[in-house]
Amino acid sequence: MAIFRLNIPVLDQIKQKGLRPALKDKWVDLVTRVTAGLSPNDVRGVLRDDAPGRPNPRLTPHAEGFWLHMKPTYYHRMVDGFYPTFRLGWLSTFFGVFEIVTGVLLMVYYTPSPLVAYENMLNLLGNVPFGQILRDLHRLAAELMVIVVVLHMLRTFITGSYKKPRQFTWATGVVLLGVTMVLSFSGYLLPWDQLSLWAVTIGASMVEAIPPEVVGRSVNLLVRGAPEFGANGLLRFYLLHVVALPLAGIVAFGVHYYKVIHHGHSLPPEAEKVGEDTAKRVPMDSRVYFMPQIMTRELWYVSGLLAILFGAAAFLYHAPALEPHANPLITPLHTTAPWYFLWVQGMLKIGDKVVWGLIVPGLLTGLLLVLPYIEVGPSRRYGDRRIGLSLAALFVAAMAMLSFMGTPNYAVSTSPDQEAVAELLPQTRPGPLRSAPWEDLAFGSYVATAWGAAPNATLQDLLHEFYNVLTNVQSADRTNVAGVMVIEDWQTDLKKVTLRVTWTNVANGSAGEFSQSVYLHRNSNYGEGA
Amino acid sequence: MKGQIALGLLALLALIGVLVVVGLGESNRMLEFTGAYDARQIETGASLFEQSCRPCHGPQGQGIGGVAPALNAPDQFDGSRLAKVGFSGTLPDYVRGVIAAGRPVPSAGTNYPQRMPTWGAEYGGPLRADQVDALVAFVLNWKDRALAGGGAATPAPTGPAVGADITLALPAGDAVRGKTLAEAVLGCAGCHVLAAVGPKWPAEGGEPGIGARAETRFQASGYTGKATSAEQYLFESTVLPNAYVVDGFQPNIMPQNLAERLSAQDTADLIAYMLSLR
Repeated sequence: MAIFRLNIPVLDQIKQKGLRPALKDKWVDLVTRVTAGLSPNDVRGVLRDDAPGRPNPRLTPHAEGFWLHMKPTYYHRMVDGFYPTFRLGWLSTFFGVFEIVTGVLLMVYYTPSPLVAYENMLNLLGNVPFGQILRDLHRLAAELMVIVVVLHMLRTFITGSYKKPRQFTWATGVVLLGVTMVLSFSGYLLPWDQLSLWAVTIGASMVEAIPPEVVGRSVNLLVRGAPEFGANGLLRFYLLHVVALPLAGIVAFGVHYYKVIHHGHSLPPEAEKVGEDTAKRVPMDSRVYFMPQIMTRELWYVSGLLAILFGAAAFLYHAPALEPHANPLITPLHTTAPWYFLWVQGMLKIGDKVVWGLIVPGLLTGLLLVLPYIEVGPSRRYGDRRIGLSLAALFVAAMAMLSFMGTPNYAVSTSPDQEAVAELLPQTRPGPLRSAPWEDLAFGSYVATAWGAAPNATLQDLLHEFYNVLTNVQSADRTNVAGVMVIEDWQTDLKKVTLRVTWTNVANGSAGEFSQSVYLHRNSNYGEGA
Repeated sequence: MKGQIALGLLALLALIGVLVVVGLGESNRMLEFTGAYDARQIETGASLFEQSCRPCHGPQGQGIGGVAPALNAPDQFDGSRLAKVGFSGTLPDYVRGVIAAGRPVPSAGTNYPQRMPTWGAEYGGPLRADQVDALVAFVLNWKDRALAGGGAATPAPTGPAVGADITLALPAGDAVRGKTLAEAVLGCAGCHVLAAVGPKWPAEGGEPGIGARAETRFQASGYTGKATSAEQYLFESTVLPNAYVVDGFQPNIMPQNLAERLSAQDTADLIAYMLSLR
C-alpha cells in the first residue's frame, strides 16, 4: 500500500499517446478552461475575425464565464456607431475602474490623520517615484469622470432613452451621478491643505442650514465629526471616499448595468415607431457580436485612453499645487466649492440659505430622480419633444449661469483695497508676484503710479497691474488712492515684499491703509506645477 | 479590426514610453519638489516669526536687550552657544526643542526676566509640528549672515543674580523702573495689587502702603527674619519669602527663585518702588 498517491493524468496520457500529442491536448484543455469555452483555434479565429463556426463557439464564454456573462453577446448595429451613445456610459465605467486602481495605489502612502496627512502628501510628491503622476492621474480622471457622467445623463435625456421601460435605469443613473459627485467632493478634503479644508467646508456648510436648528446641528456633527473639520471629519470623509461611496457606487452600477442589458441599448429615436421598443429583438442581419468586434475595440480604447491619460498627466495636466497646511483659523480670500458644486454656491448668493442651499437643490435632485415617472410622453423623437428639450437646454444654461455666479467674479463683497492686493498676491493660487522671477525683484520702494520707472520689465508689469486694480479702490468714499510695493532684503535668498494701499476717506478726511507682506525665497519655485 | 489591434499595441508602446520618460525625470523632480518645499518652509517661518517671535527677538532676530537673545548672532551658529548651555545635540534639534518646548527655566549664564513660551502643540503650545519646523528652517537660514558677522550677540540683561544675602549693599534704586518690573516684567502686581493672594502693596482704607508697613514691620513682635532696616526687610521678603510670612497668608505661595532671577539693580529698583508706596 502506497503512503500517498499522486494523480498526474498527463503522465498517463503521455504514456498512451506520446509526448507531443499529449501536451497539445493539455494546452487545448488549458486554453478552453481559461477562456471559459474557446479552444486555441477559436481564439485564433477571433483574432483573425474569421467567420464563426456553427454553433458559434464565441457565445460559450458569455454563458460559462462570470465576466463575459455580464456583457451581451451581440449589439444592434444601430447602437454600435459613435451616435447615439458617444460611448459615455462605457467611459464612465472606465474612469470608475481607473479611479479604484489609482486610488488603491494612493492609499498605500496615505494615513487619514490631520497630524500626518499633509506630510504624507509631501512624501508622495517629494519622495515616492511616480508619486506625482499617480496623484495627477487620480485627480484628472476624477474631473473627467464627473464631466463624462453628466454628459452621459444629458445624452440619455436628449435621446429620450429614460422613457418606458428604462425609467428605473435612469433612476439608478441619477444615484450614480450623485455618488460620483460626492466621491469626487470627499476626495477634496484628503490632502489636508488650505484648498481641501475650505472647499469642503463651503460644500459641507449647507447641511448646517437644515431646519430646525437641532437637526442641522446634529447632521453637521455627523458629517464633520465635530463643529468644524478636524481629525474626526477627515476620518469620516476618508472612509466615505475609500469604502462607503465606492461600495454604494459598485452596487448601484451593478443594478444600472443589469438594467441596461436587460432592456437592451435603446435604439436611436428615429429608428422605431412611436411607442415601440425593439432593442431586445435584434434581427440576425443587424447583429454585431461582442466577440471579436466589440471586444477588440474596447481593448484598444482602454490602451488608447491609458496612453492619453498618462501623456496628459505627464506633460499637460497637474493636480492643483499643494497649498499651505490646512488652517481652520485662516479663511483664504476667494475660496470656492469644487467646480461641479459652484451652482449651489451661486444659488446661495441669490437668497436664503435654507431655500436656495437646501430646498431648491433637493427639489432639483428629487425631480431628476423621478423624471421618467412624471414625464411620460410616449414619443422619443426630437420633433415631438420640443418643450422638454427646450427646458433641458434652459436648465443647462441656468446651471452654467449659476456656476458662474458661484465664482468670486460675482457678487462677492470684499473691500476693494484687499481685492487690489489679492490681484498680485492671491490667496488661493500663486499669482503674478510669487511666480515672478526672483532675481528681478530688485530691492527698493516703488510707487504704483510711477510703474514705468521701475528698473526692469518684471517689476514694471507687476506695478502696472497693481496700478490698474487700484483704480477700483477709488470711489465716492475714497480718494487719493495710492499703492506702494516695498522689496526688502530679509535673509540669505529671502526677500520680503510688502504691498500697501493707502487712501483718504472722504467722509471724515481720515487716512486708510491696507497692507500685506509676503516672503519669497529664491528656490520656492511657484511657477511650476509642483 | 487589424487596425484597432495595431493602434492598441501602439498606444501601449506610447504608454510605456511616457512612463520611461517620466521615470527618468523622477529623481530630479523629487529633488526639485523637496527643494521648493524647503524654500517655502523658510517663507512660512518668516511670516510666523513676524507674528509670534518678533516682539521679543526683534524684527530681524537681532534680539532686544534685556528681553530676548539674538538669534542671528555668530555664537548661535559656531557652536559656542550650544557649548555654553551644555547641549550636546545638533543645532536644528536645539532650536526645535527651544521653540517647541519653550524655556521654563533660564539657560545657564542668562538672566532674562521673561521666559521663552512653549510653542509646539505637543507641549501645549499653539503651533503644529510643521509650523515649528518652518520656524527652525527660518532661524537656521540666518547662518551665512550670522557667521559673516551680520548680527551681534545680545548680552544677557543685567549682570549676575543678586543672591539671598540681604546685607548686600545694593546700588541706588529707580522707583519708576521698579514699577515697570513689578507690573510688566515680573508680574508682582498680579498678587500684590490686583488680587489679595499676597499682602496688598498700595495703601487701602486705613491700612498704609507697603513702604510704610516695612518701616515698622521688622521691629514688630513676632517678626522672625533678620532684617534691620525697611530696605533689608523688603529685600528679605523678595529673595527669602519664607523668612517671615505676614499673618493671614500661607508660606510657599510667593515665588522662591527671585534670588536667582533678579540682578542687584532690579532688586534695588523694586525696593525703591515698594518704599514709594506709603
